[in-house]
Amino acid sequence: MVKAIVIAKNTFQEALRMRSYQIILVFALLLLGSSQLFSFLTPVEQLKMIKDVSLSGIEFFSALMAILASMTALRSEFETNTISTLLSKPLKRSDFILGKFLGMALVTTLGVVIMSVVFIGLILFKQHSFEISLFSALFLIWAEMLVIIAITLAVAAFASTAFTLIFVFFLFLVGHLTSYGFSLSGEMKNPVLQVIIKFFYNIIPNFENFAIRDQVVVGGTIPITYLLKTFGYGIIYTAIALIVCLYFFRYREV
Amino acid sequence: MTKITYRNSSIAAIVLLFLLLSPLQNKIDLQRKQMGFEQRLLLMPGQITGSLILGGFKGLAADLLWLQVEELFHSGQSYKMLPILRSVTFLQPKFVTPWAVGGWHLSYNISVMVKDHPEQEKAWIQAGVDFLKEGISYNPERYDLYFELGWTFFNKVKNYAEAVKYLELACKFPRPDYIDDALAHAYEKNGQIDRAIETWKKIINSGNSFSPTAVRMLHNLKTYGSTIVPEKK
Repeated sequence: MVKAIVIAKNTFQEALRMRSYQIILVFALLLLGSSQLFSFLTPVEQLKMIKDVSLSGIEFFSALMAILASMTALRSEFETNTISTLLSKPLKRSDFILGKFLGMALVTTLGVVIMSVVFIGLILFKQHSFEISLFSALFLIWAEMLVIIAITLAVAAFASTAFTLIFVFFLFLVGHLTSYGFSLSGEMKNPVLQVIIKFFYNIIPNFENFAIRDQVVVGGTIPITYLLKTFGYGIIYTAIALIVCLYFFRYREV
Repeated sequence: MTKITYRNSSIAAIVLLFLLLSPLQNKIDLQRKQMGFEQRLLLMPGQITGSLILGGFKGLAADLLWLQVEELFHSGQSYKMLPILRSVTFLQPKFVTPWAVGGWHLSYNISVMVKDHPEQEKAWIQAGVDFLKEGISYNPERYDLYFELGWTFFNKVKNYAEAVKYLELACKFPRPDYIDDALAHAYEKNGQIDRAIETWKKIINSGNSFSPTAVRMLHNLKTYGSTIVPEKK
């Protein structure tokens, strides 16, 4: 575990130095600031737009950071062959993967926290108070990022950089649409097809579970039970992805 | 651990976790349904909003469409904005502003455009009322749309019984001070003078910001038998 923490610390420092991470963070902060452009709207509409743009921006840019940084963190070790040096030391492969995951989780958490502070500051500036439910939305965005990091590491453990990038980004989009696909399957008359769709519905990560922005921005409250269930879902999915990652990494020739 | 043992135990762990995941997903689905989280998909080919919806950013898509509605409204293209307004309410039925503004456009702005054709005017006012009623069906736990509908009945349709019905419903929820005053006026117009007096007295006793108005209304009722002061001849 100590070795995993050392790897995590190193991964964290490396990711912070990544140009793409810094650029994405700057873009995200610019986007948050640009939500001020809606000042021509009524105050209620303006606040709704600021919350929508900011929460969507935080989710999108965090996902982008998580995918790019996690992929680079693992793939760069393979491409520069530093992995051989590392694994020649008394370091377990599981510690290496756990360290990479923890490091990326830290980097992404930092990104989400920075963007959240700016967002909450913006809301405080505009309405002099903020709803607790905004934190629920931010919390689930963070939980979603843990799943994305684990999936990216799992794919990067066996696939090329380009494939990892395309696959995970595609999965991010599909993961937001599985609910629609599943609800459409209710209209189908073929039971075999329904079973197949149900199977894929359970296999593909359902990122829509984490999307509570639309409810939060219109003043909806989110029960704590929902947050716990969704967080539990995220943790289980993260565990699955890490097991897959470990499996492929364990037997990888380095 | 041999490669086969490791593979089998990995698969077993993954299957076990997926078995845990499936009932949890069912519970999440059920709770989302109970909380009224919308599961609606609207694809608009060739529009950026379609791509945003695909990425799970429905709120952002609704905002962009809403900006289009604003633009069309300010350029006087009321008819054009109706389908877009529909798209916004379809994507985010719990966003009350499009329902309120849409109802207002239909009952007031568009109906006025056809005021030379009374049948058409009536139809547009009714369309506004129906639009607000649909909005209420998605947002029954807030005062906003009950008030908008009550006010449309009061001010536009002149159906005071319906106005009272919806303004009373609005008063069941946390609300701004003017709603109680509007209800008192609706009572008065509907011939329920006792209820109107009772409501204004409540406004005065509760320290509502409309207290001075309520004092004046009660004074007018006692002095002139109406809240409207007759013009001096």
